[in-house]
Order: sequence, then structure tokens, then C-alpha cells
Amino acid sequence: MDFEPGKEFESAKEFEQELRQALERRPAPPSLKHRLMEKRRQLQAERVRNATMLWQRMAAALLLTAALAGGFAWHSHQERIEEQARGEAARQQVLTALRITSRALNQMNRQLSARGRDGQE
Amino acid sequence: MAHGWHADFEQLVDEHQSMVFSLAWRMTGDRGLAEEIAQDVFLELDRNLGRMESGDHACFWLRRVAMNRSTDALRRRKVRGVDLWVEIDESHGAQVDEHASPLGARLEQLLTTLPEPQRAALVLRYQEDLTPEEIATTLDAPLATVKSHLQRGLKLLRAKAQTHLKEFVRDKGLVTDQGLTEKREQVNGF
Repeated sequence: MDFEPGKEFESAKEFEQELRQALERRPAPPSLKHRLMEKRRQLQAERVRNATMLWQRMAAALLLTAALAGGFAWHSHQERIEEQARGEAARQQVLTALRITSRALNQMNRQLSARGRDGQE
Repeated sequence: MAHGWHADFEQLVDEHQSMVFSLAWRMTGDRGLAEEIAQDVFLELDRNLGRMESGDHACFWLRRVAMNRSTDALRRRKVRGVDLWVEIDESHGAQVDEHASPLGARLEQLLTTLPEPQRAALVLRYQEDLTPEEIATTLDAPLATVKSHLQRGLKLLRAKAQTHLKEFVRDKGLVTDQGLTEKREQVNGF
């Protein structure tokens, strides 16, 4: 609506009508949709990349945890075996010591018995 | 998605980009910022596309988010100490659409000097042709408040138009001195 002196806003209704015309929707810049779709593609690609990275990280974390747990279990198992071996060695040592003592006592007993017999004769 | 309605993002952009862009532009007065806001609004729509129940729901959602985003942008600018409308005033309406009629462009400029809630109500009323009830729902405000904003906004805009129109007439040299006197009388009368 061109400006015509003396014809504008004669009533509230006319003012509202002029305002309605002044506030008609403006066409969006043609580049807006193009940029928007481009940005959307970028974000979607980023989302896919992030999801992939998340899965990769989770898999790596899982693998690392499994490796650590396995290592710990193997280490514990090895320790238990070594401990058993040490226990067995100690038992053998005690048994050897007992055998030596027993043999020494038997020998001493035999010698004492022989001396007793010689004395009686 | 209810009633078999399928949200097509590209179609929604085609249908509503001018609405979202115009709302943002009229609320912020900054074309560049309005483009950014429109882009953000549609990207948010993309994230929430699955929640849209119908075309009307998407339209309502877009309007609401566009208004909220524009208000947020205005507040951020204010916090940073920049008054957008002072910038517009200083550039003598450089951002007003070149296709608009001189009077329409002037009115549009004057609208931007109104307080933000009144501007929001008027933009939704006269750009989007919404009823006060619909505006209240869109802005999540009480109906009485919206009606008051509409009434006061319209009154203030007419008062501003009354003052500024005289300057406009003088600047454009549309009337002679005698005519201007007549014009003033008529303008004062409305």
C-alpha cells in the first residue's frame, strides 16, 4: 500500500489492516534451506561418527577390562600354584628332617642296645 | 506418530521457513540473527521430529520455539550490552525489506521499538493471524496478559505512528507546507 496523504489510519480497523499488510510473512532467503540441509547432513554424519566412536570406545574398554581381569586371574592362579609348590617343598623338608632324626634316633638306640649287651657279657 | 501422519523434514522446512524466519526477524530486527535462529529452530525440529503428531502440531511447535529462541537471543544481546533496535534505528531502517511499501516499512520499524512482550503479541496477531487464545498458548502466558499486551501495544504503536508519520511525510516531501498542516490535523485526529 503506497502512502497517500490524507487517507491513512482513519479508523482503528484501517490501522489494523495496514499493520496486517505491513506484517505479512517475508520469504526466507533461498540460501537458508540449502545451508540448513547441509548443516543437517553434517550433524547426522557427526552423530553417526560419534555413535561409531562410542561403540569403538566401549568395545576397547570391554577388551581392556577383560584383558586386565584375565591377567589378574592368571596372576592369582600362578600365585596359588607357587604357594602350593612352596608348601609341598616345606612339607618335604619337614619329612626329610623327620626321617633324618628318626634314623639318627634309631642308630643311637641300636648303639645303646649294643653297649648294654656288651656290658652284660 | 498419530493418524498415520509422517513428518517429512524437508517438506516442513519448505512450508514453514518463511514463518519462522519472519517471526525471528521481526522479534530481533536482525536479518543475520534471524537466519541463525531459523536454522537452529529447524535443527531442533529435526531432533524432535519423532514427537510431532501432525502438521498443525509441527507448525505450533515451530512458532513457539521460534518465539522462545528470538526472546532468548534478545536477552543475550541485552546482557552483552547491545541493543539491537538502537542499531536498526542508527542504520535508518537499512534492514527493512525493500519490497515493503514505505508506510508499511515505517510501521514495521515502529513495531520494533515496542516492548518485547507487546511486540511478540502483535507479531503473532497480525503476522500469524492468531487469536488471543492461540497467542496465549503459544507464548505460554495468561490470556488476560496477552489481551493487555495486544491492547497496549496497538495503542502505543498508533501513538508512535501519529508522531513519526509527520516526520515521514516531511522527509519524503510528499506534501507542501500547507498540505503538511492539513496532514498534521488529520494525523492528530486518528
